[in-house]
Amino acid sequence: MDQLQLIKRTLDIRKGGEKAALATIIRTKGSTPRKTGSRMIVFPCGRIEGTIGGGCGEAEVIEKAFQVIQTNTPSQKRVDLTKGLFYEDGGICGGIMDVFIEPI
Amino acid sequence: MSRNLFAKLEESINNRKDTFLLTITEYPDEKLIGAKALLWPDGDFCTEASLLPLNVMELLAVQCNKLVTKKRSGTVRFMWKDRLVECFAEYFPSPLHLIVAGAGHVCEPVAEMGRLLGFFVTVIDDRKEFANRERFPNANEVVCQSYLDYFRHVDITEKTYILLLTRGHKYDVLSLNELLKRECQAGYIGMIGSRRRISGVFEELQQDFPDESFENLYTPVGLDIGAETPAEIAVSIMAEILKVKNQKSGDSLSSQIKRYAKMGFHEGAGKWTNCSL
Repeated sequence: MDQLQLIKRTLDIRKGGEKAALATIIRTKGSTPRKTGSRMIVFPCGRIEGTIGGGCGEAEVIEKAFQVIQTNTPSQKRVDLTKGLFYEDGGICGGIMDVFIEPI
Repeated sequence: MSRNLFAKLEESINNRKDTFLLTITEYPDEKLIGAKALLWPDGDFCTEASLLPLNVMELLAVQCNKLVTKKRSGTVRFMWKDRLVECFAEYFPSPLHLIVAGAGHVCEPVAEMGRLLGFFVTVIDDRKEFANRERFPNANEVVCQSYLDYFRHVDITEKTYILLLTRGHKYDVLSLNELLKRECQAGYIGMIGSRRRISGVFEELQQDFPDESFENLYTPVGLDIGAETPAEIAVSIMAEILKVKNQKSGDSLSSQIKRYAKMGFHEGAGKWTNCSL
């Protein structure tokens, strides 16, 4: 149900005239922190609502979301968690996920 | 997503219909990337913009067929006029239906918890002093009707979870009588009661249903956690319902890992930190 709540939030954000982007995991391969359909709203100030799994992968998506907000054009971002097992905050999960990011 | 389409999605789920939300994630015409549509298992669909050509939408519905049958979210890709079309189809399953018959003390926390856990909750009782909105502000439905009439007509599928918490065993017998006659069996039927009450119910039922195995009947209800107060009983009942729904053992998770403890496994990183230093 919380996915439905996040979609509802995007409607309210748009109604309020605020700019933001919605990121949705649309495909996963291997082990990923969250499943397909998980969502996150990103605001230009960097604030987020919801999560697509946290860590560096999420940070990459947030970066991309800034671009989406600026250009007002949807985009996709592939998050590769197969590398960096031994890095600090590395993608320990070992999977890959595709994230669709759309302006709200 | 338009407000209108969202309202339709919400309404569809509230009417306990499985629904797919489609999002175009790749399309020759960039303006259409991000466009949304709803798709139902019967093939019916509803788009938010008329921009999407009807034949593409029909093609999409066919492409999503596999996901619809499997009842899962996924992404489909196909070529249309030599260009790639990609669509994310997200499955919104209709919520499980929790019917609580008997609107007494235990029903209150059960109905609340049912809602918290994402069930569509119906409370039914034949007394309007009990079956009313003041007592159950958060239930999806509060029905004041005789148990017999209600259970004779209510829609029952494997997604229906029924709790019999009525005030007397004759109402349980009446309700079970109707439920066992139905063609489709509920995923779970729980009946509260003492051993004496339960054996009384079974005795009466066995006359009418000598071959019934009562496989889906859980009685007394709940897991063995020593529940006494209505809230505790609600936890015990809802835990059992989740256990049935998720087909799990209901054991403590730690019991599976205890054997590793002998080999020096500890939760947390005590030993690990020592090693890495």
